[in-house]
Amino acid sequence: MRIPCPYCGERDAHEFSYLGDATPARPDPAAPDAQDRFFDYVYLRDNPAGAHQEWWYHAYGCRQWVQVERNTLTHAVAGARLARDARDAAGDAAGNVPGDAS
Amino acid sequence: MAEHWSHPLDTLPFDTVPPAGHYGVADMTGVAARRIEGLSIATLAPARGAEAAITETMRQALAMELPGASRAVFAGARTLIGTAPGRWLALSSLDRDIAGTLRAALGPLAAITDQSDAFIALDLAGPKVADTLAKGALIDLDPRVFLPGMAATTVLAHIGITLWRREEATWRLLVARSFEAALLRFLVSSAAEYGFELDARG
Repeated sequence: MRIPCPYCGERDAHEFSYLGDATPARPDPAAPDAQDRFFDYVYLRDNPAGAHQEWWYHAYGCRQWVQVERNTLTHAVAGARLARDARDAAGDAAGNVPGDAS
Repeated sequence: MAEHWSHPLDTLPFDTVPPAGHYGVADMTGVAARRIEGLSIATLAPARGAEAAITETMRQALAMELPGASRAVFAGARTLIGTAPGRWLALSSLDRDIAGTLRAALGPLAAITDQSDAFIALDLAGPKVADTLAKGALIDLDPRVFLPGMAATTVLAHIGITLWRREEATWRLLVARSFEAALLRFLVSSAAEYGFELDARG
């Protein structure tokens, strides 16, 4: 499987490490039902057959977190963008995304 | 009894850097590797929002263009390599202290870290460099695809490297110092069929 890293170009999946689903958004800890929401956020994952948004870390390349759309049935990769560019689409209540320490 | 095939790695200890010499097929040098000593290396990362200012300062103070992608830019004895968004490697074979030179030019615009002792630099030359690297690389290094001036931070034989093509038949790579012996073992065994010349003196 090859992943089109937005910076490095198309690279073998062995250069990346996999984190998982990129869609869960960190709940607001001040919400009245925060405990239930955090349970979902930490433990519950969908297992879709088909398109899946997921985080990959390009450990052996540019060391950036990349959001990849992969088809879980075929492994076809429809696209990828840097996590820093995906900030609006996924993140927590404070706008943080994985790998963004700044 | 099984026939014993003599292999260039048979006599090389795992944990020491192979000695200079000729390995594999005699009377041919498909790949020549030379360890570069005295290279000054630094990483350069702009402060938040300072990328445009750095680009301009590098242009004016050092007459160098920061590459916007994973490419190598050469100016005299200096080289700049793009390794990630907003992250570059700067190298010089003349400056004793490229980190100091950059710090003097850029001041608080960037975080600059000396890396001279972190890496070993190897020059690779010869008609069989691309064929040899292809045995351990996960990217297309065909000379028609990986052109002079291109650079890649990637994996070679499971070892992280930064590789760039300097000219038509010369490549240079950086590898973490502790991986030097392992990387050279890969080169010795992979280039043996083409004839491998190792000059470890730098």
